[in-house]
Amino acid sequence: MDKHRHVILCVDDEENPLVLRKLVLQKAGYEVITANSAETALQIAASHSIDLVLSDHLMPGTTGAQLARQLKTHNPKLPVVLLSGMNEIPPDAGSADLFLSKVEGPDHMCAEITSVLSSVAAQRSRQ
Amino acid sequence: MSVHEPVNILMVDDQPGKLLSYEAILSPLGETLLKASSGREALDHLLKKDIAVVLMDVSMPDIDGFQLADMIREHPRFEQTAIIFISAVHLTDVDRMKGYQRGAVDYISVPVIPELLRAKVNVFAELYRKTRQLERLNRELEQRVAERTEELRESESQFRSLANSIPQLAWMADPDGHVFWFNQRWYDYTGTLFDEIKGKASASLVHPDHAEDVLRKYERSIITGEPWEDTFPLRDKEGNYRWFLSRALPIRDTSGSIVRWFGTNTDITERKQAEEAVVKSEKLAAMGRLAGIIAHEINNPLEAISNAFYLLRDHPSLDREALYYCKLADEELRRVAHITKQALSFYRESQQLVPVALQEVLESVIELQSRRLQLNRVALEKKVETRGMVQGFPVELKQVFLNLIGNAVQAMPEGGVLRVRLISSRDRVNGRHGVRVSVIDTGVGIRPEHAKRIFEPFFSTKEAKGTGLGLWISKAIIQKYEGTICFRSMRLKDRNATCFSVFIPGAGAESKLGKGTTAILVA
Repeated sequence: MDKHRHVILCVDDEENPLVLRKLVLQKAGYEVITANSAETALQIAASHSIDLVLSDHLMPGTTGAQLARQLKTHNPKLPVVLLSGMNEIPPDAGSADLFLSKVEGPDHMCAEITSVLSSVAAQRSRQ
Repeated sequence: MSVHEPVNILMVDDQPGKLLSYEAILSPLGETLLKASSGREALDHLLKKDIAVVLMDVSMPDIDGFQLADMIREHPRFEQTAIIFISAVHLTDVDRMKGYQRGAVDYISVPVIPELLRAKVNVFAELYRKTRQLERLNRELEQRVAERTEELRESESQFRSLANSIPQLAWMADPDGHVFWFNQRWYDYTGTLFDEIKGKASASLVHPDHAEDVLRKYERSIITGEPWEDTFPLRDKEGNYRWFLSRALPIRDTSGSIVRWFGTNTDITERKQAEEAVVKSEKLAAMGRLAGIIAHEINNPLEAISNAFYLLRDHPSLDREALYYCKLADEELRRVAHITKQALSFYRESQQLVPVALQEVLESVIELQSRRLQLNRVALEKKVETRGMVQGFPVELKQVFLNLIGNAVQAMPEGGVLRVRLISSRDRVNGRHGVRVSVIDTGVGIRPEHAKRIFEPFFSTKEAKGTGLGLWISKAIIQKYEGTICFRSMRLKDRNATCFSVFIPGAGAESKLGKGTTAILVA
């Protein structure tokens, strides 16, 4: 089972939302690593095997969209999903695979993550 | 006037020698000397010429001096003519009296003292000349007064026709500020009579909320002589108020004192309304921005709470009652999410406009509503005549039609027909090209008492189900596109028909296709 468990790197500068999001994802069956800044996230991504990065967009310092771009330069195939309190796509969000509104709630978030991971898996199996 | 104009002096005597001697005595005066040897001859001269002085012998054959004097006096033309009698015979006081009674100014006895006669005649000649000059001056003056009066009358009538032709209301007041004249437009607008509004009574036409202030400022101008300017509503003949910009200028004479005030009132209602509309739309935009910022700030903790309830939802340690509470709280949380979602899409970061096909927007909205349409047994009739290309933001346009179509479906819980039309159209007011979307339902209709309020924020007829933001936000969005949104609700024989019509200007949007940015779909 561990073999198939996907590892999600969860990034947010705020403690409570980060913990709760981690618990929701764990409940959905994912293994979760957390980071409270884009910088920490980059370090973890460099040293761990990560299947997907789920990051808040608006963070002090490096934003989620900037983090996505940096992650993609190292590993273009690593899927990055951004979460935001806004439901407008920021102009520089093109580097992320998906942009999610926080308003839509946990069920929607889990469903979207599942579909991103399965499409990645589908691509891999084609190659 | 100082030029010496010779006057006529008539000498009457039946003795030619005497006439010659008088002529010799008087010629140094430089006047015109006329001779007559009889009363008749004298009358001939008098009829032809103006005579200043008549010097005459009393005793003459035919008509004597007294008779001649009577004749002269009868004629008004000779009122100014001085008569001097010369007589060697009649020298009694009675004779003198007789002479004076006939209007003689002097009575000289013979022998005549040349210097005396010359001096006397000179006095009367001068008097006559001066009187004549004075009369002429008087006539000239009268003439000038008449001319000026005519000029004034003309300029007054010109002024009045001018004052009646201007689009403003106009009036004149005396230096104390009492109005004594109004132009025709004033009467046409106010429907008043002069007696009702003369003086300062026209202040009663000022809107009561402004009257005191207006009068105070007006009085201050009257006292200081400073031009008056104020803006306030004035009542028309139907009792409605329109906004006027009112001004009065003091008219001063050459010495600088005020002789009258000239005032005008210019209707600025439309300008005022335009200004108010701008302020209102700015307020709306500011409110939208604020709503967006607040919604955004709420969304972060909202997500955390939603996640917490998600975790609690089937937590093994909770009993049924606790789970029920969690469910209620979670449902209410969904409502909060719905409100912030509505408010947030309204607010947007500045971003480039992209070409949007309203046809596609409508299709996706109808797709989203398809289940509800089926559940409510609502039949759908689509009429699409254009792709409906406009420059805009897909998310917010989708929100507008999601609101309108969602409302229409909700208005038909017992089933009905939903008609969605997309056509090329023109703005009903300014004729601009654009696209019109009509959403028509056969549902419960809009009650007349709600009609005025349905675009207000937090106004909802759906009780707990609605946020009251849908139409308010939709209107704000459409106004941002310089478009219009309006509705009509009709009660027909067996059913209602409610039509929401949205016009978005967008001529030539097709040609701009392909310029847009690529965007990833937002959930």
